Amino acid sequence: MPVTPPQISPVEEQEKYLHDALGIVKAQAFHMKRALDKNKLMDALKNASAMLAELRTSLLSPKSYYELYMAITDELRHMELYLVDEFQKGRKVPDLYELVQYAGNIVPRLYLLITVGLVYIKTNTSLRRDLLKDLVEMCRGVQHPLRGLFLRNYLLQCTRNVLPDTPESEEDCPEGTVKDSIDFVLMNFAEMNKLWVRMQHQGHSRDRHNREREREELRILVGTNLVRLSQLESVTLEKYQKLVLPGILEQVVSCRDAIAQEYLMECIIQVFPDEFHIQTLNPFLKSCAELEAGVNVKNIVISLMERLAAFSQRSDALGSEGANILQEVQLFVVFSNQVSSIIVNRQYLPPEDMVALQVALVNLALKCYPDRIDYIDKVMLSSVEVLQRLGLEHIESHTSVAKELQKLLKIPLDNYNNLLMVLKLKHYAGLMQHLDYFGRKALSIYLLTNALDNETVVPTAEETEQALTLLSTLVSDKNEHPVGEVDMEELAEEQCLLARFVHQLRSDTPDDQYLILTAARKILVTGGPLRIKYTLPPLIFQAYQLAYLYRDTKDAKWEKKCTKIFQFCHQTITALVKAELAELPLRLFLQGALAIDQIAFENHETVAYEFMSQAFSLYEDEISDSKAQLAAITLIVGTLEQISCFSEENSDPLRTQCALAASKLLKKPDQCRGVATCSHLFWSGKSLASNGEETHDGKRVVECLKKGLRIAKQCMDISVQVQLFVELLNHYIYFFEKGNDQVDVDILNQLIRKIREELGNLESSDEAEQITKHFNNTLAHLRLRMESPDGDRDVYRGIKLDPEEGGEVREEKGEK
Amino acid sequence: TTVEATRRLNVKKQTLDDAYAAPANFLEIDVVNPVTTIGTNLPVFKVKESSVRRRYSDFEWLRNELERDSKIVVPPLPGKAWKRQLPFRGDDGIFEEDFIEDRRKGLEVFINKIAGHPLAQNERCLHMFLQDPQIDKNYVPGKIRNT
Repeated sequence: MPVTPPQISPVEEQEKYLHDALGIVKAQAFHMKRALDKNKLMDALKNASAMLAELRTSLLSPKSYYELYMAITDELRHMELYLVDEFQKGRKVPDLYELVQYAGNIVPRLYLLITVGLVYIKTNTSLRRDLLKDLVEMCRGVQHPLRGLFLRNYLLQCTRNVLPDTPESEEDCPEGTVKDSIDFVLMNFAEMNKLWVRMQHQGHSRDRHNREREREELRILVGTNLVRLSQLESVTLEKYQKLVLPGILEQVVSCRDAIAQEYLMECIIQVFPDEFHIQTLNPFLKSCAELEAGVNVKNIVISLMERLAAFSQRSDALGSEGANILQEVQLFVVFSNQVSSIIVNRQYLPPEDMVALQVALVNLALKCYPDRIDYIDKVMLSSVEVLQRLGLEHIESHTSVAKELQKLLKIPLDNYNNLLMVLKLKHYAGLMQHLDYFGRKALSIYLLTNALDNETVVPTAEETEQALTLLSTLVSDKNEHPVGEVDMEELAEEQCLLARFVHQLRSDTPDDQYLILTAARKILVTGGPLRIKYTLPPLIFQAYQLAYLYRDTKDAKWEKKCTKIFQFCHQTITALVKAELAELPLRLFLQGALAIDQIAFENHETVAYEFMSQAFSLYEDEISDSKAQLAAITLIVGTLEQISCFSEENSDPLRTQCALAASKLLKKPDQCRGVATCSHLFWSGKSLASNGEETHDGKRVVECLKKGLRIAKQCMDISVQVQLFVELLNHYIYFFEKGNDQVDVDILNQLIRKIREELGNLESSDEAEQITKHFNNTLAHLRLRMESPDGDRDVYRGIKLDPEEGGEVREEKGEK
Repeated sequence: TTVEATRRLNVKKQTLDDAYAAPANFLEIDVVNPVTTIGTNLPVFKVKESSVRRRYSDFEWLRNELERDSKIVVPPLPGKAWKRQLPFRGDDGIFEEDFIEDRRKGLEVFINKIAGHPLAQNERCLHMFLQDPQIDKNYVPGKIRNT
């Protein structure tokens, strides 16, 4: 039975081959050096040849071959040094160049030829041009990709320091000029590229992945040719434009190999100076358009754009020459045109790459031409055209295209930090439309947040319209059909942003401000009930402020204008009512009434009355929750108390209405408190009847308080009763101190006695303690007044504070 | 004179298309049980890619045809499985894995050698073997002209 050999891994196999080869190299190198020591050149050449024969192998991987190559070429240096030494001492070996060509195998033959050729060149520069040409052509003899690449690499490395680098001249120059070097390197490069590309077709198709990896490992061998070209100092811009770049690009484009193209284009960018790139953009970018489908052209173009943008910024800083370059070259225009061309010509360019290119263009424009807003607009327009041509509408937010588009749209904003600049871009809105609903919404929030953070003021009606139209996804959801339910919290957050933004819409010119407000309302009103409750109130407050402004600046037609403003406000608040809101419009009407009262334009009493009655209607028709009612009526009373413009004809019904409404509240305690509050209307409330002074109708005040007492007595819960009594006592004391003659010491004493009585009947509890405290504080207040050295002690005479007279109650629990 | 005799040859510059074109000798045949796939860009084969099912007896048939009609020394086939077809064996018989793999390799080497040989490449039997879905054993033997 045959025994299967032990399985060696490919890695172990390689190690073995390499190890064996290196052993032979070491041995032969030793013999070679010994022969050279004894001046036995022929023997040394034989050893060198045997050593070089190891490079004929097909068994090694590129990595291992490289190691072997390094070891051997290191040893060859000894041969070279020996020969240079001999030649310089005048002991030239006749026909050595021909002699080495008798080596039997081509690989050793050519390595030796190169080594000897180098010696010749070093010791006699007049042979340089012809020798270099001969060597680069002879290397064609090795067509095996791996062996050929390393052979030509040897040629390139050997000739590193001897390439002619002088400008061309009319005379014949056997030493060679820079043109000869360019020809030499370009030929070497073309042949190496050919071999490198050929590797792609070696081996079985299933090993393609490995092969490509190996090719990547070898790319630096090909790239070194480009480096060498960049090191030639006599390569002027002109030479680069006419000879070097066309020579390279021809190979890159014709080879039709994606790996080679992607690497070499990047190589060109890295290796040659920016001054050259900036003057050769058109041919370079044109070539980019012709590259294979698998090449990531986007990265190449963007890499170049970023480099040149940085370069031009540095040049700018360095002085006028830099600025001239920018003017001369029209960096943006060239890139813009070429990028369009690339996009049109490359069918397989994914849409997100097309947009990424636009992003790079915008960044270029902003870096190099910051005040050319038309450049940015051009990019916006190009992007719109690209997306239209691709038929990409409503791009879903999670896709790469959408992400790039979002990025693009944010750049102008992030750069200028000024929403107004963004509004100047005519194609911005159109471009934004290509995002889907969520994308547009997210961007709108971003725009808004930026405007708020930077406190951007929108000073005209036109810009207001533009801004709000841009933010349309936040303003309303008409024409959109977002799936799923509305998240109320999110909505509230968004609308608050929008509401804050409303305050940024302002002009210093009052008339313009009015136009802004009307324009804004027109748009915001389309938001529907969910939104307007956030966005219309700030508008109304802005309107109120505008009215004050008109009054203060004493504009020619200020009174008419104020009337118009309050009409505007009335309409706007009504819109909120129609949206089935109640408390909000109520407050807004009340606020309005106050403003109207203060601004006092022609006919303002009528308008104020209208606002108050609207508030009342809302109270009566729309507010049914008892807690809300109490709050509302308190507000109404508070407002009315401050208004002084009403005649008796108007103020009486309003005050009476208040008292009536208060007494009709559902819960007794609320009624009591409501009525007590109303009492103040008749004291500190002002009207035309009292010439704008406080009414001081003591009688009606006391009527209210008495009613309050009656209601309190109707409360079933004793502790509530007592609480209310204490509160009423405080009201009485207030009016007493204000000089209401209808409130006398007797009334106070009666009430104090009553309270003390009832407190005695209360079971001890936290509540009872609170009420007791309240009562005691009230009495303490009185005591303080009675004992104070200044003030009217006389007024307080007769008030009985002590228990025997009817004084304080002990606060300890358990005591009765 | 020696100078003339050893003068460098003038070589016509290679066109870019030639330089970078894929080599025109691509021929890859994979035997993957039981299907044989063929890929090639050789001009002599009309179909550039094909995939056919062949039995061991088909390989035998091909070998016989080529031995009779072509001028090449036809390489041997991997062994037939006489013993393995007998019942009552301890192992899986003709379905045992190592046997299958060895045979597969052998057939692959065999067919690649033949298809790569210029003197076999224009035999009709080979073309039928590599490209036609069914082998017609009643075919007319002969050579294919390279058009």
